Amino acid sequence: MFNKVLIANRGEIAVRIIRACRELGLLTVAVYSDADRQALHVRYADEAYRLGPAPSRDSYLRADKIIDIARKSGAGAIHPGYGFLAERADFAEACRETGLAFIGPNPSSIAAMGDKAVARATVSRAGVEIVPGTEGEGSLRDDELLAVAPAIGFPLLVKATAGGGGKGMREVNCLEDMPTLLNAARREAEASFGDGNVYLEKLVEGARHIEIQILADGQDNVIHLGERECSIQRRHQKLLEESPSPFVGEDEDFRQQIGAVAVRAAQSVSYVNAGTIEFLVDKDKHFYFLEMNTRLQVEHPVTEMVTGIDIVKEQIRIARGRCLRYKQEDIHANGWAIECRINSEDPYNNFIPSTGRITHTLLPTGPGVRVDTGVYIGFEISPYYDSLISKLIVWGDTRGEAILRMRRALEEYKILGVHSNIPFHQRLMDSHRFMGGQYDTRFVEERFSIEEAEEGKDSHPEIAAILATLVAHRQTELAAHVIQRNERDTSNWKWLSRWESLRK
Amino acid sequence: MKYVTTIKDHEYIVDIIDEHHVSVDGVMYEIDFMPVGDQPVYSLVMNGTSVEAHVYPNEDTWQVLFRGDLFSACVEDEREKRLRASLAGRVADNADFHLKAPMPGMVISIPVNEGQAITKGEVLLVLESMKMQNELRSPRDGKVTRLRVKVGDRVEQKETMLSVV
Repeated sequence: MFNKVLIANRGEIAVRIIRACRELGLLTVAVYSDADRQALHVRYADEAYRLGPAPSRDSYLRADKIIDIARKSGAGAIHPGYGFLAERADFAEACRETGLAFIGPNPSSIAAMGDKAVARATVSRAGVEIVPGTEGEGSLRDDELLAVAPAIGFPLLVKATAGGGGKGMREVNCLEDMPTLLNAARREAEASFGDGNVYLEKLVEGARHIEIQILADGQDNVIHLGERECSIQRRHQKLLEESPSPFVGEDEDFRQQIGAVAVRAAQSVSYVNAGTIEFLVDKDKHFYFLEMNTRLQVEHPVTEMVTGIDIVKEQIRIARGRCLRYKQEDIHANGWAIECRINSEDPYNNFIPSTGRITHTLLPTGPGVRVDTGVYIGFEISPYYDSLISKLIVWGDTRGEAILRMRRALEEYKILGVHSNIPFHQRLMDSHRFMGGQYDTRFVEERFSIEEAEEGKDSHPEIAAILATLVAHRQTELAAHVIQRNERDTSNWKWLSRWESLRK
Repeated sequence: MKYVTTIKDHEYIVDIIDEHHVSVDGVMYEIDFMPVGDQPVYSLVMNGTSVEAHVYPNEDTWQVLFRGDLFSACVEDEREKRLRASLAGRVADNADFHLKAPMPGMVISIPVNEGQAITKGEVLLVLESMKMQNELRSPRDGKVTRLRVKVGDRVEQKETMLSVV
């Protein structure tokens, strides 16, 4: 059994995992790229080792170096976090061969669920319904995809076989547009995952993205921790998640039904550790398997807040060979949790990523508020990694209380130096459709506009005008004092001529 | 001291009378104003209302962040305002648009050619950064000139990539 864990990741998730290790009394080993020497995960860990230059392929994707560092530092286990090497079966296999515990599922489960075509075939055999598409047909060429597309029907999605997080994904509305979009998707997939293979999937319209968190130990116990609603997305990137889902609401039968199907899907690949089954749910509560994420999810905290279970600690316990501490009947959701992903991007300018130094930040605190972050004042948001600054999570007794608390927390949260999407989340919290839980996966892109939401809002620009003027006035006065003390640094004749030229 | 402060095209006449009195468009307020710590944070108590804000300079304007809203304010005394007004007519209309990289990244594609006529909203260039492809669009009609980059180039933040005239 191990007592030292290497965290093969960076940012907020590395910090999150270090915290769990600390609570369990385990020693931690961080790894870092040149861009992250000062990052929080390096400073919080007991040990830290350099991986290489900033680009991911030279640092956080260097499986060989990471395993080497684990061996040299005496770490007995590797936690991969999410992204980077988290869903690479070859990495999990290499860990096992070196005698390191991989805090995640078996390589065979990652491989089965990682190739989405294989994943769909596997769960389909276990009796789980899937979305129509090029299931189990391997990596098709463009001409083959173009031939099969009309049978699936438009609109449809082109998705990266090795993908996730919306990368290498394109929506196609007609056959004519398809060749160009296929090309773009393949290029993006190649750049993001080093694998340009894509597949097609029917677009379920008016769909909600609902996912089930599961936990499985090595002793055949598999439980689910209820659902997360992740329909607030933009370009297939999740922006906000909540648990429970307002769509499932009080329908406990539906919750247990979809939960049981998720458990069955996990069992179909003999799954061990924490995982998530994503479903598309249409308005008639008909649900289709979308994919299984064989890792810790970005949005895991909302489930932690309502169930009281520390998912990362459970992952580590399972990897140490323990059995689950909970049975299905022990799992009860208490209250409501919402998570906003705070990204460095400009919501007023097409959500374009923003890089730069964080010059000032003030975190929200108080009852029911949790912030998972890896940044601090002086931190440089670099173009090398994703744009997630932090995750702001709130808990409330009811959904209404959670929304009001999130509004309050967003108002307290200050980040200066880079643009953030905090104003987007604020307008979303004010949206009547969001409050009513009336949204689907297209809501943000098609029925929500931050500019419209701001019209007629009570915002007191006159107070802002007074503040700006007072600060400007104060600065002028301070500057004037400095000049008076040292006298003028140039002759009066020069001053006179400058003054004259200003008046022309 | 009288200032003209502009927020979203609206001009406020702000007169700082003394340390505790300010008038805005002729309405008098009793104020107590002070910086908090050595941060760009200011506390303003105005006729009993307490307001906290982050105020910091950004190029030619002041950014004011309070109660979750960000305002961009241009503060000028009367002389500065006259000066700007006399200059304004000369440069405004024929200003070229220079497409600068909003962040460091790699040029993925350039769907336009040198000399091509384009309309507002048309994609000029696709830039990859933070693992996302970003479409940069033209803010106005015009013609593409001075194309300085090619597909595959790495660009620095604020680097000018092409112009629209």
